Amino acid sequence: MTRPASTRSEDAVRHLANPIVAHFESERARAVAKSRFAAVISIAVVTALLSGAVFASGIAEQSAGADPLGRIASFLARMSPDLQADVLFEGATQTGSLRHWFYDLPRWLRAIFETLQMAILATAFGAAGAVALSTLASRTTMPFAIVRFLVRRLFEVLRTIPDIILATILVAAFGVGPLAGVIALTLSTIGSLGKLFTEVNENADPSAFEGVRAAGGGWAQELRYGLAPQVAPNYASYTLIRVEVNISLAAALGIVGAGGIGMELERAISFTEFDTYLAILLLILALITTCDLASEAIRRRLMGQEVRA
Amino acid sequence: MTRAESLATIARARAIAPDVIDPPFARRAANALALTAVFGALAILVALIDVDPSAFANGQEALLRFLSLMARPNDGGMPDRIYGALLQTFAMALLATAMAFVVALPIGVLASRAVMRNAVAHFAVRRVLDALRGIPALVWALVLVSALGLGPLAGVIALALADTPYLAKFVAEALENVDERQRDGVRSAGGGWMAELRFAITPQVAPVVASQTLYVLEANFRAAAVLGIVGAGGIGYELDERIRIFAFDQVAYILIVYVLCVMALDYVSAALRRRLT
Repeated sequence: MTRPASTRSEDAVRHLANPIVAHFESERARAVAKSRFAAVISIAVVTALLSGAVFASGIAEQSAGADPLGRIASFLARMSPDLQADVLFEGATQTGSLRHWFYDLPRWLRAIFETLQMAILATAFGAAGAVALSTLASRTTMPFAIVRFLVRRLFEVLRTIPDIILATILVAAFGVGPLAGVIALTLSTIGSLGKLFTEVNENADPSAFEGVRAAGGGWAQELRYGLAPQVAPNYASYTLIRVEVNISLAAALGIVGAGGIGMELERAISFTEFDTYLAILLLILALITTCDLASEAIRRRLMGQEVRA
Repeated sequence: MTRAESLATIARARAIAPDVIDPPFARRAANALALTAVFGALAILVALIDVDPSAFANGQEALLRFLSLMARPNDGGMPDRIYGALLQTFAMALLATAMAFVVALPIGVLASRAVMRNAVAHFAVRRVLDALRGIPALVWALVLVSALGLGPLAGVIALALADTPYLAKFVAEALENVDERQRDGVRSAGGGWMAELRFAITPQVAPVVASQTLYVLEANFRAAAVLGIVGAGGIGYELDERIRIFAFDQVAYILIVYVLCVMALDYVSAALRRRLT
Protein backbone atom coordinates (compact mmCIF):
# COMPACT_ATOMS: atom_id res chain seq x y z
CA MET A 1 0.00 0.00 0.00
CA THR A 2 2.91 2.36 0.57
CA ARG A 3 3.43 4.27 -2.61
CA PRO A 4 6.04 6.98 -2.97
CA ALA A 5 4.58 10.35 -2.00
CA SER A 6 5.60 11.89 -5.29
CA THR A 7 3.41 9.48 -7.25
CA ARG A 8 0.45 10.27 -5.05
CA SER A 9 0.72 14.01 -5.49
CA GLU A 10 1.20 13.48 -9.20
CA ASP A 11 -2.04 11.46 -9.15
CA ALA A 12 -3.77 14.28 -7.32
CA VAL A 13 -2.59 16.83 -9.84
CA ARG A 14 -3.76 14.68 -12.71
CA HIS A 15 -7.19 14.17 -11.08
CA LEU A 16 -7.64 17.86 -10.36
CA ALA A 17 -6.99 18.59 -14.01
CA ASN A 18 -10.19 16.67 -14.72
CA PRO A 19 -12.94 19.36 -14.69
CA ILE A 20 -15.50 17.05 -13.05
CA VAL A 21 -13.15 16.22 -10.20
CA ALA A 22 -12.15 19.87 -9.82
CA HIS A 23 -15.79 20.90 -9.67
CA PHE A 24 -16.55 18.21 -7.09
CA GLU A 25 -13.59 19.24 -4.97
CA SER A 26 -14.56 22.90 -4.93
CA GLU A 27 -18.20 22.04 -4.11
CA ARG A 28 -17.05 19.78 -1.32
CA ALA A 29 -14.72 22.40 0.10
CA ARG A 30 -17.60 24.88 0.10
CA ALA A 31 -19.94 22.38 1.82
CA VAL A 32 -17.36 21.58 4.49
CA ALA A 33 -16.71 25.27 5.13
CA LYS A 34 -20.44 25.90 5.39
CA SER A 35 -21.04 23.11 7.88
CA ARG A 36 -18.00 24.19 9.94
CA PHE A 37 -19.34 27.72 10.03
CA ALA A 38 -22.77 26.43 11.12
CA ALA A 39 -21.13 24.34 13.84
CA VAL A 40 -19.13 27.30 15.16
CA ILE A 41 -22.25 29.50 15.18
CA SER A 42 -24.33 26.86 16.99
CA ILE A 43 -21.65 26.27 19.60
CA ALA A 44 -21.38 30.03 20.16
CA VAL A 45 -25.18 30.39 20.48
CA VAL A 46 -25.48 27.46 22.90
CA THR A 47 -22.57 28.74 25.01
CA ALA A 48 -24.07 32.23 25.13
CA LEU A 49 -27.50 30.84 26.07
CA LEU A 50 -26.07 28.64 28.81
CA SER A 51 -23.90 31.31 30.34
CA GLY A 52 -26.82 33.72 30.19
CA ALA A 53 -28.93 31.05 31.88
CA VAL A 54 -26.44 30.71 34.74
CA PHE A 55 -27.02 34.38 35.55
CA ALA A 56 -30.76 34.47 34.81
CA SER A 57 -31.46 31.38 36.90
CA GLY A 58 -29.83 32.90 39.94
CA ILE A 59 -27.87 29.78 40.83
CA ALA A 60 -24.68 31.83 40.62
CA GLU A 61 -25.91 34.07 43.44
CA GLN A 62 -27.10 31.20 45.58
CA SER A 63 -24.31 30.79 48.07
CA ALA A 64 -23.24 27.21 48.64
CA GLY A 65 -22.76 27.93 52.34
CA ALA A 66 -19.97 26.55 54.47
CA ASP A 67 -18.74 23.06 53.57
CA PRO A 68 -21.37 22.14 50.94
CA LEU A 69 -19.89 18.68 50.28
CA GLY A 70 -19.90 17.83 53.95
CA ARG A 71 -23.53 18.95 54.18
CA ILE A 72 -24.52 16.72 51.28
CA ALA A 73 -22.63 13.79 52.83
CA SER A 74 -24.38 14.24 56.17
CA PHE A 75 -27.70 14.61 54.34
CA LEU A 76 -27.15 11.33 52.48
CA ALA A 77 -26.23 9.70 55.79
CA ARG A 78 -29.52 10.87 57.28
CA MET A 79 -31.35 9.57 54.22
CA SER A 80 -29.92 6.08 54.37
CA PRO A 81 -31.78 3.80 56.76
CA ASP A 82 -30.22 2.58 59.96
CA LEU A 83 -30.19 -1.14 59.16
CA GLN A 84 -28.37 -3.76 61.22
CA ALA A 85 -27.80 -7.21 59.77
CA ASP A 86 -28.44 -9.17 62.96
CA VAL A 87 -31.89 -7.67 63.68
CA LEU A 88 -32.98 -7.14 60.05
CA PHE A 89 -36.18 -9.18 60.32
CA GLU A 90 -37.18 -8.24 63.86
CA GLY A 91 -40.37 -6.34 64.69
CA ALA A 92 -41.13 -2.68 64.17
CA THR A 93 -40.04 -1.68 67.67
CA GLN A 94 -36.48 -2.96 67.13
CA THR A 95 -34.17 -0.21 65.80
CA GLY A 96 -32.23 -1.46 62.81
CA SER A 97 -34.90 -3.78 61.38
CA LEU A 98 -36.61 -3.44 58.03
CA ARG A 99 -39.99 -3.17 59.75
CA HIS A 100 -38.64 -0.25 61.78
CA TRP A 101 -37.51 1.50 58.60
CA PHE A 102 -40.92 0.90 56.93
CA TYR A 103 -42.68 1.66 60.22
CA ASP A 104 -45.93 2.93 58.71
CA LEU A 105 -46.16 0.49 55.80
CA PRO A 106 -49.96 -0.23 55.91
CA ARG A 107 -50.70 3.49 55.78
CA TRP A 108 -48.26 4.01 52.89
CA LEU A 109 -49.74 1.08 51.00
CA ARG A 110 -53.20 2.63 51.38
CA ALA A 111 -51.75 5.87 50.00
CA ILE A 112 -50.16 3.94 47.11
CA PHE A 113 -53.56 2.40 46.40
CA GLU A 114 -55.14 5.85 46.47
CA THR A 115 -52.53 7.05 43.95
CA LEU A 116 -53.39 4.16 41.65
CA GLN A 117 -57.09 4.83 42.16
CA MET A 118 -56.66 8.50 41.25
CA ALA A 119 -54.63 7.65 38.16
CA ILE A 120 -57.06 5.03 36.86
CA LEU A 121 -60.19 7.10 37.49
CA ALA A 122 -58.64 10.21 35.97
CA THR A 123 -57.58 8.20 32.91
CA ALA A 124 -61.10 6.74 32.54
CA PHE A 125 -62.88 10.08 32.93
CA GLY A 126 -60.27 11.85 30.82
CA ALA A 127 -60.47 9.27 28.04
CA ALA A 128 -64.28 9.51 28.01
CA GLY A 129 -64.10 13.30 27.80
CA ALA A 130 -61.41 13.09 25.12
CA VAL A 131 -63.51 10.68 23.01
CA ALA A 132 -66.46 13.06 23.15
CA LEU A 133 -64.47 16.26 22.54
CA SER A 134 -62.22 14.81 19.85
CA THR A 135 -65.26 14.17 17.63
CA LEU A 136 -65.82 17.94 17.84
CA ALA A 137 -62.18 18.63 16.93
CA SER A 138 -61.51 16.40 13.94
CA ARG A 139 -62.21 17.25 10.35
CA THR A 140 -63.76 13.86 9.64
CA THR A 141 -66.55 14.30 12.18
CA MET A 142 -67.03 18.07 12.63
CA PRO A 143 -67.80 20.21 9.58
CA PHE A 144 -67.60 23.61 11.35
CA ALA A 145 -64.04 24.94 11.36
CA ILE A 146 -64.69 27.38 14.21
CA VAL A 147 -65.76 24.59 16.59
CA ARG A 148 -62.70 22.54 15.65
CA PHE A 149 -60.45 25.53 16.25
CA LEU A 150 -61.93 26.28 19.69
CA VAL A 151 -61.82 22.69 20.92
CA ARG A 152 -58.23 22.31 19.73
CA ARG A 153 -57.15 25.46 21.57
CA LEU A 154 -58.90 24.08 24.67
CA PHE A 155 -56.84 20.87 24.39
CA GLU A 156 -53.68 22.92 24.02
CA VAL A 157 -54.38 25.04 27.10
CA LEU A 158 -55.25 21.95 29.19
CA ARG A 159 -52.01 20.28 28.07
CA THR A 160 -49.90 23.33 28.79
CA ILE A 161 -51.03 24.27 32.30
CA PRO A 162 -49.10 21.89 34.57
CA ASP A 163 -51.32 19.41 36.42
CA ILE A 164 -49.69 20.43 39.71
CA ILE A 165 -50.81 24.04 39.23
CA LEU A 166 -54.34 22.87 38.39
CA ALA A 167 -54.24 20.69 41.50
CA THR A 168 -53.08 23.60 43.68
CA ILE A 169 -56.01 25.71 42.49
CA LEU A 170 -58.43 22.81 42.95
CA VAL A 171 -57.13 22.06 46.45
CA ALA A 172 -57.91 25.68 47.30
CA ALA A 173 -61.47 25.06 46.08
CA PHE A 174 -62.23 21.48 47.13
CA GLY A 175 -59.93 21.13 50.11
CA VAL A 176 -57.14 18.62 50.77
CA GLY A 177 -57.87 15.16 49.37
CA PRO A 178 -57.96 13.03 46.24
CA LEU A 179 -60.91 14.85 44.63
CA ALA A 180 -58.75 17.80 43.56
CA GLY A 181 -56.13 15.39 42.25
CA VAL A 182 -58.60 13.37 40.19
CA ILE A 183 -60.10 16.52 38.63
CA ALA A 184 -56.67 18.00 37.85
CA LEU A 185 -55.44 14.77 36.24
CA THR A 186 -58.72 14.35 34.34
CA LEU A 187 -58.33 17.82 32.83
CA SER A 188 -54.75 17.29 31.68
CA THR A 189 -55.67 13.81 30.39
CA ILE A 190 -58.45 15.36 28.30
CA GLY A 191 -55.85 17.76 26.88
CA SER A 192 -53.31 15.14 25.88
CA LEU A 193 -55.62 12.29 24.84
CA GLY A 194 -57.95 14.74 23.07
CA LYS A 195 -55.12 15.82 20.82
CA LEU A 196 -54.04 12.24 20.09
CA PHE A 197 -57.62 11.01 19.49
CA THR A 198 -58.23 13.91 17.11
CA GLU A 199 -55.21 12.85 15.08
CA VAL A 200 -56.44 9.24 15.07
CA ASN A 201 -59.90 10.36 13.89
CA GLU A 202 -58.40 12.40 11.09
CA ASN A 203 -56.30 9.48 9.91
CA ALA A 204 -59.35 7.19 9.76
CA ASP A 205 -60.34 6.04 6.29
CA PRO A 206 -63.37 8.14 5.22
CA SER A 207 -64.59 5.49 2.78
CA ALA A 208 -65.90 3.53 5.77
CA PHE A 209 -68.20 6.46 6.75
CA GLU A 210 -69.27 6.88 3.15
CA GLY A 211 -70.19 3.22 3.08
CA VAL A 212 -72.36 3.58 6.20
CA ARG A 213 -73.96 6.75 4.80
CA ALA A 214 -74.58 5.09 1.44
CA ALA A 215 -76.31 2.22 3.24
CA GLY A 216 -78.65 4.77 4.84
CA GLY A 217 -76.91 5.18 8.21
CA GLY A 218 -77.26 8.43 10.17
CA TRP A 219 -74.60 10.41 12.05
CA ALA A 220 -74.63 8.12 15.10
CA GLN A 221 -74.32 4.99 12.97
CA GLU A 222 -71.51 6.61 11.00
CA LEU A 223 -69.58 7.06 14.25
CA ARG A 224 -70.46 3.62 15.59
CA TYR A 225 -69.89 1.49 12.47
CA GLY A 226 -67.65 3.72 10.35
CA LEU A 227 -65.33 5.38 12.85
CA ALA A 228 -65.27 3.32 16.06
CA PRO A 229 -63.90 0.05 14.62
CA GLN A 230 -61.05 1.94 12.97
CA VAL A 231 -60.01 4.07 15.93
CA ALA A 232 -60.72 1.82 18.94
CA PRO A 233 -57.37 -0.04 18.95
CA ASN A 234 -55.42 3.23 18.80
CA TYR A 235 -57.60 4.80 21.49
CA ALA A 236 -56.97 1.78 23.72
CA SER A 237 -53.23 1.85 23.25
CA TYR A 238 -52.93 5.61 23.91
CA THR A 239 -55.16 5.29 26.97
CA LEU A 240 -53.02 2.49 28.41
CA ILE A 241 -49.88 4.58 27.96
CA ARG A 242 -51.63 7.47 29.66
CA VAL A 243 -52.39 5.29 32.71
CA GLU A 244 -48.64 4.99 33.26
CA VAL A 245 -48.11 8.73 32.84
CA ASN A 246 -50.96 9.46 35.23
CA ILE A 247 -49.54 7.14 37.89
CA SER A 248 -46.27 9.10 37.81
CA LEU A 249 -48.10 12.41 37.93
CA ALA A 250 -50.45 11.24 40.69
CA ALA A 251 -47.47 10.26 42.84
CA ALA A 252 -46.39 13.92 42.88
CA LEU A 253 -49.84 15.49 43.29
CA GLY A 254 -49.98 14.78 47.01
CA ILE A 255 -47.13 17.23 47.57
CA VAL A 256 -49.68 20.03 47.07
CA GLY A 257 -52.31 18.16 49.10
CA ALA A 258 -54.22 16.54 46.26
CA GLY A 259 -54.22 13.00 47.67
CA GLY A 260 -52.15 9.87 47.24
CA ILE A 261 -48.63 8.88 48.23
CA GLY A 262 -47.23 12.37 47.62
CA MET A 263 -48.89 13.52 50.83
CA GLU A 264 -46.84 10.94 52.75
CA LEU A 265 -43.67 12.14 51.00
CA GLU A 266 -44.47 15.71 51.93
CA ARG A 267 -45.16 14.68 55.54
CA ALA A 268 -41.85 12.77 55.74
CA ILE A 269 -39.95 15.83 54.51
CA SER A 270 -41.72 18.28 56.81
CA PHE A 271 -40.86 16.03 59.78
CA THR A 272 -37.29 15.75 58.31
CA GLU A 273 -37.58 11.95 58.25
CA PHE A 274 -35.30 11.53 55.26
CA ASP A 275 -34.99 7.76 55.62
CA THR A 276 -38.79 7.57 55.50
CA TYR A 277 -38.67 9.62 52.29
CA LEU A 278 -36.34 7.02 50.81
CA ALA A 279 -38.62 4.18 51.92
CA ILE A 280 -41.65 5.81 50.27
CA LEU A 281 -39.62 6.58 47.14
CA LEU A 282 -38.78 2.87 46.88
CA LEU A 283 -42.49 2.03 47.16
CA ILE A 284 -43.25 4.49 44.34
CA LEU A 285 -40.52 2.91 42.19
CA ALA A 286 -42.04 -0.52 42.86
CA LEU A 287 -45.49 0.78 41.89
CA ILE A 288 -44.20 2.28 38.64
CA THR A 289 -42.25 -0.85 37.69
CA THR A 290 -45.22 -3.13 38.40
CA CYS A 291 -47.56 -0.99 36.33
CA ASP A 292 -44.97 -0.81 33.55
CA LEU A 293 -44.77 -4.59 33.34
CA ALA A 294 -48.55 -5.02 33.62
CA SER A 295 -49.33 -2.52 30.91
CA GLU A 296 -46.69 -4.06 28.66
CA ALA A 297 -48.36 -7.47 29.11
CA ILE A 298 -51.84 -6.05 28.45
CA ARG A 299 -50.67 -4.20 25.37
CA ARG A 300 -49.01 -7.32 24.02
CA ARG A 301 -52.24 -9.29 24.52
CA LEU A 302 -54.38 -6.62 22.86
CA MET A 303 -52.03 -6.46 19.90
CA GLY A 304 -51.97 -10.25 19.67
CA GLN A 305 -55.77 -10.25 19.44
CA GLU A 306 -55.66 -7.72 16.63
CA VAL A 307 -53.28 -9.88 14.66
CA ARG A 308 -55.50 -12.92 15.14
CA ALA A 309 -58.78 -11.15 14.31
CA MET B 1 -79.39 -2.26 -5.32
CA THR B 2 -82.64 -4.00 -4.67
CA ARG B 3 -83.51 -5.56 -1.35
CA ALA B 4 -83.04 -9.05 -2.76
CA GLU B 5 -79.57 -8.16 -4.00
CA SER B 6 -78.58 -6.73 -0.63
CA LEU B 7 -79.78 -9.87 1.12
CA ALA B 8 -77.78 -11.93 -1.33
CA THR B 9 -74.66 -9.85 -0.59
CA ILE B 10 -75.18 -10.35 3.13
CA ALA B 11 -75.64 -14.07 2.61
CA ARG B 12 -72.38 -14.18 0.63
CA ALA B 13 -70.56 -12.30 3.36
CA ARG B 14 -71.98 -14.71 5.91
CA ALA B 15 -70.68 -17.64 3.88
CA ILE B 16 -67.19 -16.11 3.60
CA ALA B 17 -66.81 -14.96 7.20
CA PRO B 18 -69.55 -16.42 9.40
CA ASP B 19 -67.79 -15.28 12.63
CA VAL B 20 -67.88 -11.61 11.60
CA ILE B 21 -71.59 -11.47 10.68
CA ASP B 22 -72.80 -13.67 13.58
CA PRO B 23 -70.17 -13.66 16.33
CA PRO B 24 -70.26 -16.91 18.31
CA PHE B 25 -71.97 -16.74 21.68
CA ALA B 26 -68.71 -17.44 23.54
CA ARG B 27 -67.01 -14.38 22.06
CA ARG B 28 -70.02 -12.14 22.69
CA ALA B 29 -70.21 -13.35 26.27
CA ALA B 30 -66.47 -12.82 26.76
CA ASN B 31 -66.69 -9.26 25.39
CA ALA B 32 -69.72 -8.45 27.54
CA LEU B 33 -67.97 -9.91 30.57
CA ALA B 34 -64.78 -7.93 29.93
CA LEU B 35 -66.78 -4.72 29.53
CA THR B 36 -68.75 -5.40 32.71
CA ALA B 37 -65.53 -6.15 34.58
CA VAL B 38 -63.94 -2.87 33.47
CA PHE B 39 -66.96 -0.77 34.40
CA GLY B 40 -67.46 -2.73 37.62
CA ALA B 41 -63.85 -2.10 38.62
CA LEU B 42 -64.23 1.62 37.87
CA ALA B 43 -67.45 1.75 39.91
CA ILE B 44 -65.67 0.08 42.85
CA LEU B 45 -62.80 2.57 42.58
CA VAL B 46 -65.29 5.47 42.62
CA ALA B 47 -67.10 3.97 45.62
CA LEU B 48 -63.84 3.48 47.54
CA ILE B 49 -62.37 6.91 46.97
CA ASP B 50 -62.11 9.13 50.00
CA VAL B 51 -64.26 12.05 48.81
CA ASP B 52 -66.83 13.90 50.86
CA PRO B 53 -69.93 14.71 48.72
CA SER B 54 -70.48 18.00 50.56
CA ALA B 55 -66.88 19.02 49.80
CA PHE B 56 -67.70 18.46 46.15
CA ALA B 57 -70.72 20.78 46.32
CA ASN B 58 -68.91 23.49 48.32
CA GLY B 59 -65.88 23.20 46.08
CA GLN B 60 -67.93 23.91 42.99
CA GLU B 61 -69.14 27.18 44.52
CA ALA B 62 -65.58 28.15 45.45
CA LEU B 63 -64.35 27.21 41.99
CA LEU B 64 -66.99 29.41 40.36
CA ARG B 65 -65.83 32.32 42.54
CA PHE B 66 -62.21 31.68 41.51
CA LEU B 67 -63.18 31.51 37.85
CA SER B 68 -65.09 34.81 38.02
CA LEU B 69 -61.93 36.39 39.48
CA MET B 70 -59.86 34.77 36.76
CA ALA B 71 -62.03 36.36 34.11
CA ARG B 72 -60.28 39.68 34.84
CA PRO B 73 -56.56 38.96 34.51
CA ASN B 74 -54.40 41.50 36.28
CA ASP B 75 -50.63 41.76 36.72
CA GLY B 76 -51.02 42.99 40.31
CA GLY B 77 -48.69 45.95 39.65
CA MET B 78 -45.57 43.79 39.59
CA PRO B 79 -44.98 42.70 36.01
CA ASP B 80 -41.20 42.89 36.54
CA ARG B 81 -41.33 40.19 39.17
CA ILE B 82 -43.54 37.95 37.03
CA TYR B 83 -41.42 38.27 33.90
CA GLY B 84 -38.24 37.87 35.94
CA ALA B 85 -39.58 34.64 37.41
CA LEU B 86 -40.55 33.41 33.93
CA LEU B 87 -37.04 34.14 32.65
CA GLN B 88 -35.61 32.31 35.65
CA THR B 89 -37.88 29.33 34.90
CA PHE B 90 -36.61 29.18 31.32
CA ALA B 91 -33.00 29.54 32.45
CA MET B 92 -33.47 26.68 34.91
CA ALA B 93 -34.97 24.50 32.17
CA LEU B 94 -32.05 25.29 29.86
CA LEU B 95 -29.37 24.54 32.46
CA ALA B 96 -31.11 21.32 33.52
CA THR B 97 -31.33 20.19 29.90
CA ALA B 98 -27.61 20.79 29.38
CA MET B 99 -26.77 19.02 32.63
CA ALA B 100 -28.99 16.03 31.80
CA PHE B 101 -27.47 15.82 28.32
CA VAL B 102 -23.91 15.74 29.66
CA VAL B 103 -24.74 13.07 32.25
CA ALA B 104 -27.06 10.98 30.05
CA LEU B 105 -24.66 10.62 27.13
CA PRO B 106 -22.11 8.38 28.90
CA ILE B 107 -24.83 6.50 30.80
CA GLY B 108 -26.67 5.85 27.54
CA VAL B 109 -23.51 4.57 25.85
CA LEU B 110 -22.80 2.27 28.77
CA ALA B 111 -26.40 0.99 28.80
CA SER B 112 -26.49 0.21 25.07
CA ARG B 113 -26.27 -3.37 23.94
CA ALA B 114 -22.87 -2.83 22.30
CA VAL B 115 -21.29 -2.16 25.70
CA MET B 116 -23.63 -4.05 28.01
CA ARG B 117 -23.39 -7.51 26.44
CA ASN B 118 -24.92 -9.44 29.34
CA ALA B 119 -28.67 -9.77 28.64
CA VAL B 120 -29.65 -9.86 32.33
CA ALA B 121 -27.64 -6.75 33.18
CA HIS B 122 -29.01 -5.02 30.08
CA PHE B 123 -32.60 -5.80 31.12
CA ALA B 124 -31.95 -4.74 34.73
CA VAL B 125 -30.38 -1.41 33.74
CA ARG B 126 -33.27 -0.67 31.37
CA ARG B 127 -35.82 -1.43 34.09
CA VAL B 128 -34.05 0.85 36.54
CA LEU B 129 -33.97 3.65 33.94
CA ASP B 130 -37.68 3.08 33.20
CA ALA B 131 -38.61 3.24 36.86
CA LEU B 132 -36.51 6.36 37.57
CA ARG B 133 -38.06 8.01 34.51
CA GLY B 134 -41.40 7.78 36.31
CA ILE B 135 -40.29 9.96 39.23
CA PRO B 136 -41.47 13.54 38.57
CA ALA B 137 -39.04 16.41 39.10
CA LEU B 138 -41.22 17.77 41.92
CA VAL B 139 -40.53 14.64 44.01
CA TRP B 140 -36.76 15.14 43.61
CA ALA B 141 -37.10 18.87 44.27
CA LEU B 142 -38.92 18.20 47.54
CA VAL B 143 -35.91 16.41 49.01
CA LEU B 144 -33.21 18.46 47.25
CA VAL B 145 -34.53 21.66 48.77
CA SER B 146 -33.90 20.11 52.17
CA ALA B 147 -30.39 19.11 51.11
CA LEU B 148 -29.27 22.18 49.15
CA GLY B 149 -31.46 24.89 50.63
CA LEU B 150 -34.21 26.98 49.05
CA GLY B 151 -33.42 28.29 45.59
CA PRO B 152 -33.05 27.44 41.94
CA LEU B 153 -30.03 25.11 42.39
CA ALA B 154 -32.25 22.39 43.89
CA GLY B 155 -34.71 22.96 41.05
CA VAL B 156 -32.10 22.62 38.30
CA ILE B 157 -30.71 19.42 39.79
CA ALA B 158 -34.21 18.00 40.30
CA LEU B 159 -35.07 18.62 36.64
CA ALA B 160 -31.79 17.10 35.49
CA LEU B 161 -32.39 14.03 37.70
CA ALA B 162 -35.82 13.54 36.16
CA ASP B 163 -34.54 13.91 32.56
CA THR B 164 -31.33 11.89 32.75
CA PRO B 165 -32.92 8.41 32.74
CA TYR B 166 -35.19 9.45 29.88
CA LEU B 167 -32.37 10.79 27.72
CA ALA B 168 -30.00 7.95 28.66
CA LYS B 169 -32.53 5.38 27.54
CA PHE B 170 -33.04 7.31 24.34
CA VAL B 171 -29.30 7.49 23.62
CA ALA B 172 -28.94 3.76 24.26
CA GLU B 173 -31.81 2.98 21.89
CA ALA B 174 -30.49 5.32 19.20
CA LEU B 175 -27.11 3.56 19.40
CA GLU B 176 -28.75 0.17 19.12
CA ASN B 177 -30.73 1.26 16.06
CA VAL B 178 -27.66 2.43 14.14
CA ASP B 179 -27.62 1.05 10.61
CA GLU B 180 -24.76 -1.46 10.48
CA ARG B 181 -24.19 -1.01 6.75
CA GLN B 182 -22.74 2.45 7.23
CA ARG B 183 -20.25 1.11 9.78
CA ASP B 184 -19.35 -1.68 7.36
CA GLY B 185 -18.84 0.95 4.68
CA VAL B 186 -16.44 3.00 6.77
CA ARG B 187 -14.58 -0.11 7.91
CA SER B 188 -14.25 -1.47 4.37
CA ALA B 189 -12.82 1.88 3.25
CA GLY B 190 -10.07 1.31 5.83
CA GLY B 191 -11.44 3.48 8.65
CA GLY B 192 -10.53 2.69 12.25
CA TRP B 193 -12.93 2.89 15.20
CA MET B 194 -12.48 6.65 15.46
CA ALA B 195 -13.54 7.07 11.84
CA GLU B 196 -16.43 4.68 12.42
CA LEU B 197 -17.61 6.75 15.36
CA ARG B 198 -17.18 10.01 13.48
CA PHE B 199 -18.55 9.09 10.03
CA ALA B 200 -20.91 6.16 10.62
CA ILE B 201 -22.36 6.39 14.13
CA THR B 202 -22.46 10.11 14.99
CA PRO B 203 -24.28 11.21 11.81
CA GLN B 204 -27.04 8.69 12.56
CA VAL B 205 -27.32 9.26 16.31
CA ALA B 206 -26.73 13.02 16.63
CA PRO B 207 -29.91 14.29 14.91
CA VAL B 208 -32.27 12.05 16.88
CA VAL B 209 -30.55 12.77 20.18
CA ALA B 210 -30.49 16.49 19.46
CA SER B 211 -34.16 16.53 18.58
CA GLN B 212 -34.97 14.57 21.74
CA THR B 213 -32.89 17.02 23.77
CA LEU B 214 -35.01 19.86 22.41
CA TYR B 215 -38.06 17.89 23.42
CA VAL B 216 -36.62 17.55 26.93
CA LEU B 217 -36.12 21.32 27.01
CA GLU B 218 -39.82 21.83 26.27
CA ALA B 219 -40.78 19.29 28.94
CA ASN B 220 -38.41 20.96 31.42
CA PHE B 221 -39.98 24.36 30.89
CA ARG B 222 -43.34 22.83 31.82
CA ALA B 223 -41.94 20.90 34.79
CA ALA B 224 -39.89 23.87 36.02
CA ALA B 225 -43.05 25.92 36.39
CA VAL B 226 -44.20 23.92 39.39
CA LEU B 227 -40.92 23.56 41.29
CA GLY B 228 -41.37 26.91 43.03
CA ILE B 229 -44.20 25.36 45.05
CA VAL B 230 -41.62 23.49 47.13
CA GLY B 231 -39.21 26.43 47.08
CA ALA B 232 -36.99 25.34 44.21
CA GLY B 233 -37.18 28.56 42.18
CA GLY B 234 -39.11 29.73 39.13
CA ILE B 235 -42.62 30.92 38.37
CA GLY B 236 -44.24 28.25 40.56
CA TYR B 237 -43.44 30.27 43.66
CA GLU B 238 -45.26 33.33 42.32
CA LEU B 239 -48.26 31.19 41.34
CA ASP B 240 -48.43 29.33 44.65
CA GLU B 241 -48.15 32.55 46.64
CA ARG B 242 -51.09 34.11 44.74
CA ILE B 243 -53.22 30.97 44.95
CA ARG B 244 -52.73 30.97 48.72
CA ILE B 245 -54.12 34.52 49.04
CA PHE B 246 -56.87 33.82 46.47
CA ALA B 247 -55.50 36.47 44.08
CA PHE B 248 -56.89 34.56 41.13
CA ASP B 249 -56.92 37.58 38.83
CA GLN B 250 -53.12 37.59 39.06
CA VAL B 251 -52.99 33.79 38.80
CA ALA B 252 -54.90 34.06 35.53
CA TYR B 253 -52.50 36.74 34.25
CA ILE B 254 -49.45 34.59 35.04
CA LEU B 255 -51.05 31.49 33.50
CA ILE B 256 -51.89 33.32 30.28
CA VAL B 257 -48.36 34.70 29.91
CA TYR B 258 -46.91 31.32 30.81
CA VAL B 259 -49.08 29.41 28.31
CA LEU B 260 -48.08 31.86 25.57
CA CYS B 261 -44.38 31.38 26.46
CA VAL B 262 -44.75 27.58 26.36
CA MET B 263 -46.46 27.78 22.97
CA ALA B 264 -43.72 30.07 21.64
CA LEU B 265 -41.00 27.72 22.88
CA ASP B 266 -42.81 24.70 21.40
CA TYR B 267 -43.05 26.54 18.08
CA VAL B 268 -39.35 27.45 18.00
CA SER B 269 -38.27 23.99 19.09
CA ALA B 270 -40.55 22.31 16.53
CA ALA B 271 -39.03 24.49 13.82
CA LEU B 272 -35.51 23.57 14.95
CA ARG B 273 -36.43 19.88 15.08
CA ARG B 274 -37.81 19.99 11.56
CA ARG B 275 -34.45 21.29 10.39
CA LEU B 276 -32.61 18.51 12.23
CA THR B 277 -34.47 15.60 10.73
